[in-house]
Amino acid sequence: MKIVACIKHSLDVSEIKVDEETEDIKLAGVPKSLGEIDENVLEAAVSLQETYGGEVHGLSYGSPDAKDAFRDALAMGLEDVTLVEAAADEQNDPAVTALVLAEAIKTMGDVDLVICGELSDDGLTYQVPPRLAERLDLPQLSFVRQIEIDDGWAVAERELESGSQKVRAQLPALITVTQETNTPRRPTLMEAMQAKKKPVHLWDVAEDVGLTRDDLESRAYLERTDSKGIVIHRKRVKMEGSDKRALANQLVDRLIEEGVLEGEV
Amino acid sequence: MSAQQSKILVYAEDERLMRQLLTKARQAQTGNVGLALVGDEIEQADFGSWGADTVYMVQNSLLGSFNPETYADALTSVVEQAEPDLVLIGGTKQGLELSSRVAERLNMGIASWCVDFEIDAERKQITAKCMIYSGIGQETYRLKTRPAMATVDSDVFEQQSFPDIQAERIEVDADIHDPRLEVLEEKGKMAAGERLIDAQVIVDVGQGFEEKEDLALAEELAQLLGGQVSCTRPIASERDWLPEWIGLSGAQLSPQLCFTIGVSGAIQHMIGIRDSDLIVAVNKDEHAGVHLQADYGVVADLYEFLPALIEVMKERSIRLAE
Repeated sequence: MKIVACIKHSLDVSEIKVDEETEDIKLAGVPKSLGEIDENVLEAAVSLQETYGGEVHGLSYGSPDAKDAFRDALAMGLEDVTLVEAAADEQNDPAVTALVLAEAIKTMGDVDLVICGELSDDGLTYQVPPRLAERLDLPQLSFVRQIEIDDGWAVAERELESGSQKVRAQLPALITVTQETNTPRRPTLMEAMQAKKKPVHLWDVAEDVGLTRDDLESRAYLERTDSKGIVIHRKRVKMEGSDKRALANQLVDRLIEEGVLEGEV
Repeated sequence: MSAQQSKILVYAEDERLMRQLLTKARQAQTGNVGLALVGDEIEQADFGSWGADTVYMVQNSLLGSFNPETYADALTSVVEQAEPDLVLIGGTKQGLELSSRVAERLNMGIASWCVDFEIDAERKQITAKCMIYSGIGQETYRLKTRPAMATVDSDVFEQQSFPDIQAERIEVDADIHDPRLEVLEEKGKMAAGERLIDAQVIVDVGQGFEEKEDLALAEELAQLLGGQVSCTRPIASERDWLPEWIGLSGAQLSPQLCFTIGVSGAIQHMIGIRDSDLIVAVNKDEHAGVHLQADYGVVADLYEFLPALIEVMKERSIRLAE
């Protein structure tokens, strides 16, 4: 079974701050790494490979500085990672990402299973996996809790707001995992050492994937016209003290003053 | 219809969200508001009073359980027939999956996590304001495709009734293919957030709670004020202590008063409570990010502070202000 795990070098969103005066989103210096959800993707891919045999290849579309971050991915048990290089100035529409990934997967050939995360850590749109499934004309098993392969069929439990479904589809197929799907393994030191010898292939969008700049630009469906951070205006009154009853009384006093509670003053 | 009008089509799987989107579409005052209904047996309602001018119905035996393939076939047919300028989709998991599939088929751009939009009918320009980085910021986009799509989360817009509108019904003859994804079994559950959405007081719990039994402290505090207990994603999804979580991938609440207890303050969760009128955080770590996102940050061990707070509130007959 040939499995492609789609992964992303993602911003650590918890490190993004907003300038309270200018409302600018401060992205400079925000660390990037393999996304947390991508660890669930890789765990799903590698554990399926361990159970049913075959090989797992990582695939990503992004800037070349991602190369080192994929060492961690390789240590989890991938054969290799293919990084399709995005131009640095590109304003990426998920429709562009889906096109590039789809063409790259076609180039890789004979893929049985494509695995994606439900939402990337920083993009969070959930557009790429269904768009990719459409482009590759694959059935999609999304938001899976559990996944197994049974005689050429992918069988999964999936979770929706309204309930859960047990679904199946014949391979080849695309699945998306959530952070509840599994607990990612921690590679051993030995695996981390061995990962240094595994290849990260850099692919050029035009030469290796066969897409022109026009192909990409024609799918940049959104044009960003404004961007600003949301400044949270809260009072930020810190309350502490060793006497917890006194502290509780102080808090209740404050909430009565605020007019939200009432009772004995 | 004059050339200066723009049409909006709405699709959402649940009535509440559907009505919120219809209301917003009407308020945009651009022209015809359409509603897409997809299913094997569509229940009739007074869709005009919900805000729809035209109801496009696709009824087919292949549209029983939600299947992204058959539903995408149905919605694609509706979009092709209705020819809207903008399609508003309820941003549930089903909606997100369905919208992207339809958009890919019809070469449409999608504004994800849309919180507002403007249609300049004369210039045929659509701009959408969207949440980015789980709500740290907002970006505005010009949508370059026609039709274009926007996905909208629950409770971003408020619903109204429009008693004077009579909806026209159109049966759409959709080309629905046998799906490759088979739904073998289905289990229902209560829709996320329903019990929480109207609560005026929320007691929000995080991983600072060590045992499930300890939630009794939060329950008691909530009960004193006629409120409800909500939680972070790991409390529901990993520990399975409560049926649903709030935040980016769950409900977003706006109570009068929110106690957030033993919660670190990650944005993916805080977006679920940040529209509260007043936030009280309880966390023993004075450097926890949650304190910066609260009106009152109580630096204390919840196991010491909550019993004291409950005792004091009982003694002083504290209740939610009228």
